[in-house]
Amino acid sequence: MPAFEVNGKTYNVDEDGFLEEPGVWTKEVATDFAGCEGVTELTENHWKVINYLRNYYLQFGIAPMIRKLCKETGFKLNEIYAMFPSGPAKGACKLAGLPKPTGCV
Amino acid sequence: MQPLTEEERKRAFAATRKPEAIRKQRLPVRYHVEDFEVADRPRRFLEAFAAILKHTNYRLALDHYMRVTAKCSRCSVKCQVYVATGDTNDIPCHRSELLLSVYRRHFTVSGVLRGRILGDPGLTDERIQEMADSFYNCTACRRCHFECPMGIDHALITHLGRYILSEIGIVPRALAVSVREQLTGATGNTSAVPVAALKDGLEFLSEEMQEDKGIDIPFPIDQDGAEYLFLPAVSDFLMEGETLMGNAAVFRATGDKWTIGTGYFDGINYGLFYSDHILEQVLQKIRAEAERLQVSKILIGECGHASRSAKFFYPTFCGGKEALPVVNIMEYTHRAWKEGRLKLKPDAISETVTYHDPCNLARSGWVVEQPRELLKAFCTNYVEMTPNRQDNICCGGGGGTVSMDELRPYRTLVGGRMKADQIRATGAKYCVAPCANCKKQLRELVEEHAIDCQIVGLHDLLYKAIIFDSSVPGE
Repeated sequence: MPAFEVNGKTYNVDEDGFLEEPGVWTKEVATDFAGCEGVTELTENHWKVINYLRNYYLQFGIAPMIRKLCKETGFKLNEIYAMFPSGPAKGACKLAGLPKPTGCV
Repeated sequence: MQPLTEEERKRAFAATRKPEAIRKQRLPVRYHVEDFEVADRPRRFLEAFAAILKHTNYRLALDHYMRVTAKCSRCSVKCQVYVATGDTNDIPCHRSELLLSVYRRHFTVSGVLRGRILGDPGLTDERIQEMADSFYNCTACRRCHFECPMGIDHALITHLGRYILSEIGIVPRALAVSVREQLTGATGNTSAVPVAALKDGLEFLSEEMQEDKGIDIPFPIDQDGAEYLFLPAVSDFLMEGETLMGNAAVFRATGDKWTIGTGYFDGINYGLFYSDHILEQVLQKIRAEAERLQVSKILIGECGHASRSAKFFYPTFCGGKEALPVVNIMEYTHRAWKEGRLKLKPDAISETVTYHDPCNLARSGWVVEQPRELLKAFCTNYVEMTPNRQDNICCGGGGGTVSMDELRPYRTLVGGRMKADQIRATGAKYCVAPCANCKKQLRELVEEHAIDCQIVGLHDLLYKAIIFDSSVPGE
């Protein structure tokens, strides 16, 4: 199992850098993972997306529909791409500690 | 088309895996593979090959192809991968020869005799490594088939090669993980969508449509005895809300009875890409759900490989002539429109619109004119990309490669290179790509090549054009 070392901490991640155990997520994870997803600073807007994803995941066991994410957070899709360059399904989900999406996602 | 620059070549072919993993698995490929038994690989490959030959009809095709193959390389002009890389290893008939030569050497009398006389050691581990790399460079678009003077279906040989490799454990991890969740996981679908999340998403879309159109457009769930069981690519429930809204709106307008089954709601079938065994198991899941809900037709959403795998193989594995008919959503919508049960505003979309033919729908000539007639019915500015229809160029992410994120630079710089030029040349604002696979790949492609074009599904646009009667149809 590959390990990801950052800021003196070690995380167990899969080959794509997603957290192996989504349960161990804390806010620190998002901060530590931000750099490798091309996010320089986590602003209030970033946290709005991350917290929404995290809460939806804890309730339903998966990320929400992209359209719903946009509607509920009030950001347009291109704004989310501007915040998370690798997109909502990859970058934002990784920072929120969700497992890597599978299938044609 | 611009040739690959040195920098692009480096990015497209950059190693994506750790050297230890490659060494341990003895597999210099760019896609991730879960750990598997490495020892004695050639013997196990040949055993798997022999077992497949025994239980299938592949021998007929291989016997014929092996005799007629001229290795003339005419197919090279049709292959978008070869045109981009210029690497002779990417010529389709070279790729086919990798497997045909193994067949010739080990499974024909003359090959076995010649091997003994000449002391040919036969299949080597290096050849297996070469096949594992080569078969997943191909996007299985089947365009080379048209150019082959001997009529060899190179994608069929690629499929068989991947099938044998999968039997000895060489499968891209992205596909293996998804299929495991689909066949044995708690959610039973490739994207691991639980039923509660499915319902939440669909309720949300109905609210959106209520807000937008002022009428109730439901997504019927578990309706016994409905006419159609609807199976989109399950990723649509996460990524393509707009397409689903269009799908539901069409049914609201026609009044036909359709349903989504909570027992099984995923059209995706990666078996088409690498294993007949999995192809069958996934189709049996569709059959079980169709029987549970007593539906009379199977309706596949906007997805090329899901449609083709069900249309052409559902009868093979699920009842032959007695099997339920399989319909693609665009066929359905087109027929409803032709019959006058679906009314469209002729000038709903005024921006330039073009259409990308998904290989799995168009190559066989199955769904080609239907979407065009629909688009022309509500878009005032429709343009074709060339070549098109049966001779279309693949999005560059076919054959399951789109699910492998580690291949993204290869897909956008090599596989989709011709497609990018083609889309740019149309100057279209919208490119309609009615396939979950093509949509994902084309979005990454236009981003990489900085093309100002929005990739949408057919029903995303059609949704804006539907005219609803004030009365509820069918009541």
